[in-house]
Amino acid sequence: MSDPIQQIREFIFENFLFDADESALQNEASFLDQGIIDSTGILEVIDWLEETFEMQVEDEEMIPENLDSVSNLAVFIAKKTN
Amino acid sequence: MLVSDFLVRAAENTPEKIVIVHGKNRFSYGELLTNARAIAQWLVSSQGSKGFRAAILTDNPIDYVSLYFGIQMAGGVVVGLNTQTAERSLVKTLSDCAASVIFCSLKYKKYLEKIVSQLPDLSHVVCSDASSQDVQPHLPQDWLPWTAVMTGSVEGGKDKPPSIQDSDLAQIIYTSGTTGDPKGVMLSHKNLVANTLSITCYLNLTAEDRIMAVLPFFYSYGNSVMLTHIAAGASLVVNQNFLYPNVILDEMVEEKVTGFSGVPSTFAILLHRSAVRKYTLPALRYLTQAGAPMAPKLARSLRDIFPGVEIFIMYGQTEASARLAYLPPVDLERKSGSIGKAIPGVELHLLNKADEPVKPGEVGEIVAKGDNIMVGYWGRPEASAEVLSSYGLRTGDLAQMDEDGYLYIVSRKSDMIKSGSHRIAPKEIEEILQEHEAVHEVAVIGIEDDILGQAIKACVVLKEPDLPLKKLIIHCRKNLPAYKVPHHFEALTELPKTATGKICKNKLS
Repeated sequence: MSDPIQQIREFIFENFLFDADESALQNEASFLDQGIIDSTGILEVIDWLEETFEMQVEDEEMIPENLDSVSNLAVFIAKKTN
Repeated sequence: MLVSDFLVRAAENTPEKIVIVHGKNRFSYGELLTNARAIAQWLVSSQGSKGFRAAILTDNPIDYVSLYFGIQMAGGVVVGLNTQTAERSLVKTLSDCAASVIFCSLKYKKYLEKIVSQLPDLSHVVCSDASSQDVQPHLPQDWLPWTAVMTGSVEGGKDKPPSIQDSDLAQIIYTSGTTGDPKGVMLSHKNLVANTLSITCYLNLTAEDRIMAVLPFFYSYGNSVMLTHIAAGASLVVNQNFLYPNVILDEMVEEKVTGFSGVPSTFAILLHRSAVRKYTLPALRYLTQAGAPMAPKLARSLRDIFPGVEIFIMYGQTEASARLAYLPPVDLERKSGSIGKAIPGVELHLLNKADEPVKPGEVGEIVAKGDNIMVGYWGRPEASAEVLSSYGLRTGDLAQMDEDGYLYIVSRKSDMIKSGSHRIAPKEIEEILQEHEAVHEVAVIGIEDDILGQAIKACVVLKEPDLPLKKLIIHCRKNLPAYKVPHHFEALTELPKTATGKICKNKLS
């Protein structure tokens, strides 16, 4: 299985940042503060998580601590899939 | 009465009372009035006579509201800009209204720098969060930090404010026109005051209310939420990022909010993408929804989750300052699917093509009269004459009335897409896609979506059939704000057409 950080970055670039430079996305940067993802975008992220990592995102887990940066997503995926 | 009188009255009565809660920041009515007066003082000196257009581009609600009232107190016209915007849209809007001053957060400065050379009417750019070193001195306009304006260290303070009448323009709100170009809805002080007082009355708003404000203030609905709660001397708990609904729910609990306003997608997200069922909100008194009637299933779910909370369904248009009709909470189930009756101070009639009233049960266009109806579209007398007549404002919405006088929307005349809180003209997206060299023909439609109400779909006929559709998404992302980028793309070999060659959008899905 490939590195989750890399997988997340690829997904974000493919769907939200497109041909932006790699430096446009810091792993710790908040998607919300940077304006990278809007409220419908976050639903796409959840769909992708559930499909790619075969995990169920519960309603109460939809919080910035789990979803709002590449690093937060990586920790959340590790917690849910281990 | 002027719009700023709402603020002056509340600030004089309860200067210490909190008007805006934004994250950890709390801002009182007294502070808001002081800020607004400082801004007004500078504007009176720098902009000359009343009627100048001043644009606001910020996602900081405390700055936005301070500027909103400051501009109007100086006799200016507020133009609130959508912060989810593309440079192209900014140029169109700012050129159209010939704004002479823009107030922006520092984060938007980089966009403005690229476009100000195309704005000959612009004389001043004021950046909040900026120091003197941050502002750009190499452009034709005066670039000033916000602090210089607020502390009076630049020109200002000597000139007398102009005499403002209630017939003077207070605000221009841009809406997507069906032609794709945004139209500026001109609202006078009288328009906004009339609508604000009417809404405050039927929602029974008091100074004890605390609204969770998630809708942006630059749209008509958010603007109305802001004005009505300030008119009542109430408090606004502002979080306009609806990205994480659980964060909003936490704030609603902590801040003991009494009200919540949303569009259908806001409630769909709350019900299907949040842990709302695990929360208890004992202080909550009312919910308001505008944008569409509430589906019976959604209404039942909300009633189950929030027993005893009043649910108001509202109908309106930017052209009516905001509201035209509402369905009282007691009628929610009895008159399910209805948008209710006219709000106080408004007359609604259903007219046929000959401008004659239709009988109960027959379909007619909703035509509205009242002090809240706009002055017209900025710089577009022909477009204004098309919708404003001696009968009132032609809304373009077709409806039926039942024997008790309750209105039911049947269809809308225009093909505008309603996605989330946005009204989107398909033509604008079609024009952008048509600019791509690989596109032969395109038709953009709205398709049903559980969360958004409508999602945007682009049906394209390509000159190069092998072109990856991702290229078109990238093209849209570069030229359109994110909320206008189609959610779905479909490549077709041809578009369905009538005998005269017109695209039949109703055959696309």
